[in-house]
Amino acid sequence: MDLKALHSFVKRDGIVFLTYGGFLSQTLISGMTEALEKEAQYNELGMGLSNNIFTIFIELSQNMMKYTSEHQRMSESSEGLIIVGKESDNSYYVISQNIISKSDAVSMNDRLKEVVELDKDALKKKYRELRRSGRDRHYKGAGIGFYEIAKRSDSVEYDFIDLDENTSFFTFKASVGQKVKGDIKC
Amino acid sequence: MLEKLFVAPSKCTPQIDFDPESRILAVEGSSYPENTFVFYAPMMEWVKAYFGQESEQKTIVNLEIIYFNSSSSKLLFDFFDALEEASSSHDIEINWIFDARNEVAMEAGEDFTEDFSHLNINLVEKQ
Repeated sequence: MDLKALHSFVKRDGIVFLTYGGFLSQTLISGMTEALEKEAQYNELGMGLSNNIFTIFIELSQNMMKYTSEHQRMSESSEGLIIVGKESDNSYYVISQNIISKSDAVSMNDRLKEVVELDKDALKKKYRELRRSGRDRHYKGAGIGFYEIAKRSDSVEYDFIDLDENTSFFTFKASVGQKVKGDIKC
Repeated sequence: MLEKLFVAPSKCTPQIDFDPESRILAVEGSSYPENTFVFYAPMMEWVKAYFGQESEQKTIVNLEIIYFNSSSSKLLFDFFDALEEASSSHDIEINWIFDARNEVAMEAGEDFTEDFSHLNINLVEKQ
């Protein structure tokens, strides 16, 4: 294993956290959350920003557990990756990548198309509407996770790549910045 | 008589302390379990049984949720819904307690106050 290459790309991409595997346990999430809290303390992130990073991280990990476990029923190979990192401008990003079923990809694509089009106020409204109606509720959640993520992010990007007729490779990236309070005048 | 409901906190679940004698129902901590609806099922059942009993005494609900995931947000909504239903025959006062620096918790409290305008919800800022 090329440890030097590993070190240089972790450094280059400002990676704070990275996990790879087919299964993310709740214990692992809790442990990572604790480490993210330390990062937040160390870099003096405001409570708002660190809270937003945790939210995005947890929603994406729990999404991944849900969709990966469904995928595992169909195939032995299930892979998932989550990265939390810092850009050179001090904003943070959370990326998730995993293999999902084609039918999940279709329904997620529909939802995400709507999510990226809505502005912050519309997202909040939609989130509360869906929470009230329980329309998208499923056995593990309320079906409002992507709205929650988008509410907390400056921007979100996503991509689906078909692997074969049954599976898709799903990539999602959310970016959150440091909010500067007031103009700096010299 | 309904028994007291106590659930110790964990890293991803809050402490639940529902006391039918003092009539104080308290939830305190973070909430982001993977299986939210399963975790809270005993609490929701307890609440149903509790408000199934008639009483003229006041019930105080103290909610101090530092952080919650989207499915917990839905669960809280359902919890408020159950309280609103019970409020037609019970005297219920709710305190939504939050840290002044935790804007998200404050906003969440404001949203619940709007969504449940018939409930008596106090937004309590902790210093």
